[in-house]
Amino acid sequence: MASGGYTGKILRVQLSDDDFKIEKLPREWIGEYIGGDGFAAKILYDEVPAKTDPLGDANKLIIATGPITGTLWPTSGRTVFVSKAPLTGIWGESHVGGFLGPELKYAGFDVLVVEGKSDKPVIISINDSNLELVDAKEFWGMQTHEVTNALQRKFNDPDVQVGAIGPAGENGIRYASVIVNHARAAGRTGMGAVLGSKNVKAIAIRGRGGVSVADHEGFTEFAKEAHMRIRNDPVAKEMGKWGTWMLTAVKQQIGELPTYNHRTGVFSGWEKLSGEYIRPRFTIADRACFGCSLGCKKMNYVRDGPYAGTLEEGPEYEGLMAFGSALGIDDFATTLKANQICNKYGMDIISAGATIGFAIEAFENGLIDEKATSGLLLKWGDSALIIKLLQMIGDRDAFGDILAQGSRKAAEILGNNTEQYAIHVKGLEVSGQDGRTHRSIGLSHATGSRGADHLRSLVVVDQLGFEEVAIERWGQDKLPEILDPYTEKYKAAAVVETENAYCIRDALIVCWYSTSHPPIFWMNDFAKMLPLATGEASLGNTDNLTLIAERQMAIKRLFNAREGISRKDDTLPKRFTHDPMPEGPGKGQLVNLEPMLDDYYRLRGWDKETGLPTKETIKRLSLEWA
Amino acid sequence: MPSQLIIDYTKCTGCRMCELACSAKNEGLFQPSKARLKIVKYDDLGIDIPNVCGPCEEAPCVEICPVYAMRRDPITKMTYHDHDKCILCKSCVGVCVNGIIQLDTEKMRIIKCDHCGGDPECARVCPTGAIQYGPSATLTTIDKHSKMETYLKEIKRTAEIQESSGDI
Repeated sequence: MASGGYTGKILRVQLSDDDFKIEKLPREWIGEYIGGDGFAAKILYDEVPAKTDPLGDANKLIIATGPITGTLWPTSGRTVFVSKAPLTGIWGESHVGGFLGPELKYAGFDVLVVEGKSDKPVIISINDSNLELVDAKEFWGMQTHEVTNALQRKFNDPDVQVGAIGPAGENGIRYASVIVNHARAAGRTGMGAVLGSKNVKAIAIRGRGGVSVADHEGFTEFAKEAHMRIRNDPVAKEMGKWGTWMLTAVKQQIGELPTYNHRTGVFSGWEKLSGEYIRPRFTIADRACFGCSLGCKKMNYVRDGPYAGTLEEGPEYEGLMAFGSALGIDDFATTLKANQICNKYGMDIISAGATIGFAIEAFENGLIDEKATSGLLLKWGDSALIIKLLQMIGDRDAFGDILAQGSRKAAEILGNNTEQYAIHVKGLEVSGQDGRTHRSIGLSHATGSRGADHLRSLVVVDQLGFEEVAIERWGQDKLPEILDPYTEKYKAAAVVETENAYCIRDALIVCWYSTSHPPIFWMNDFAKMLPLATGEASLGNTDNLTLIAERQMAIKRLFNAREGISRKDDTLPKRFTHDPMPEGPGKGQLVNLEPMLDDYYRLRGWDKETGLPTKETIKRLSLEWA
Repeated sequence: MPSQLIIDYTKCTGCRMCELACSAKNEGLFQPSKARLKIVKYDDLGIDIPNVCGPCEEAPCVEICPVYAMRRDPITKMTYHDHDKCILCKSCVGVCVNGIIQLDTEKMRIIKCDHCGGDPECARVCPTGAIQYGPSATLTTIDKHSKMETYLKEIKRTAEIQESSGDI
């Protein structure tokens, strides 16, 4: 019998044998990994050996939940997709909100592992204990919203939760996403391409069971109190109103709004991409993921102009950046349309936008010409061009076929020094931050397990100057340097401490927005809540939670090490380390990465030369088996 | 003035916290499938519609019950289910216009909202005020379908413009 919160079961879909297998969740995993990313890291490390082809039969896709998924704990409706990533060839993970994860728990499973390859297109159907591979011939080729609607009709139940791939996943686009609830995306690193390579069009889940926690009264009371904390938090209230669009103005103000493929950090057209401009003109409904009282999702509708009639949820700040400022577009309707195309085809907005930006900059500088671009003239701020290119990518048509590989591979194909404009780390395109004006994110981008990641270790407290929080978490002695976004000093300490808390967040799993700026919940809250949920006293100790987080980090690192990753790969694009920020508040700033890396490895207990966990660290984390 | 669950259809974000809190209170675990209310979600349109018990002008669940297991309080207009009289014929399940009465096949009983005895948990946890509990006359009841009708009208309008200009 598993502890409270867990269903105690792992479901394996063995596509090659047309079979399902149910396993017990190993009891000791709870204390060692908690759930979510932790479980997935253990499974992926154990079962996907080095040099596995990400799009081959031997790769596996793990869909994991945590002990509080499906409960009343705020923002706990999240799920993680983990696999060896088609885009990067290393550790791949992508978290998604919506309603899929809780439904998997209600159907009776903590983790779903998709392995092997089906010889024909299928839907994985989980209807409580009825497990079935349904022929997907009639659904293959459909866009994500079409297959989602079609499956709900087929099963005659609007409450069936669907995780679907679109044409992008079917066509093996390296940054294809899995789309949940029409517009919530497990976007990054190409999880949709993994499903597509296995001939799985969608995962359809309906569960009617429940989730029991160890101390129902205590947990429920604490969860309600936690909801009130969100409802009364001034920043969370703003987030509920503007969504992540409130970041556009903040980023512009501090000179960190990636513009023209990260060339600069200020954008003259930023106002038309800000929440205050968008909401009154486009937003028609506020929406939320499962069990969330913050509600940052916005349903938007374009009333006139070339994209009139576009009705779509999103985009987030990252979408405004990827299709807006980063491509020189100052028009929200274009970003909404681009976001919709990405959702329907099932592809990552950040990588898609960044790969287009790479091409435009290479074209602008004469490194590629119209012969390479199938006759297209690439230039900044061309709305119609972006929409056309996205469709070409989704269909892998002509020049779109090259861009479908992501910026790193596209640069390899196009050659002629175009690599200098591919703004990525380890193959993953850089998200909407810039280390030059925020040093700690420079370190985060360089060391992130999946590449240039803004969700696993982005420190907000230093950038926005939350002094009291900084003193409490890092100590008075590290001020003022740790709060100065333009110095490297102490930034590794901030990144490591934050990354550890986020590891626990990703094991529970709860949303980034409940732990961001400044965090509404942190380690001590998790330590109070976890024993109530699970009944495991050991999870009530923050030092132990830190140890579990370090273990999760080390396994991800060891997984990457097996693929050949070491300190030499923990780099940043030259743009951030050699081209000073050309304008704005951060004018002249550059990242000096090496001293931060030295500090980071020391604090992590990783070897300074190789960047890999030392023998002592491996022993301390009880990872001798790895 | 008797209290009712009052829904503001423009405020629901579809988070389903009400379903979680309802099952937590009434079932002792988190199980939305056994909640006494139901959020119907249209993700493609961005519409979320809470379905709760009452206020009903007529009470079909009372009228259809062959054994008088469902009765209606003449003052509050709220309907109550009597487990002892119930023969599990499921007539009320089928006739409920809000679709919130159901048969629990595990424990073989009808489950139905009782407004938590006057302090409904769903209204307590609703983060946006979409579900409130109070005298219906003092709160504006917003027409259930108005949000969707406005939407569909607008979608039709833009489709027509596009069609007439030949621009799809």
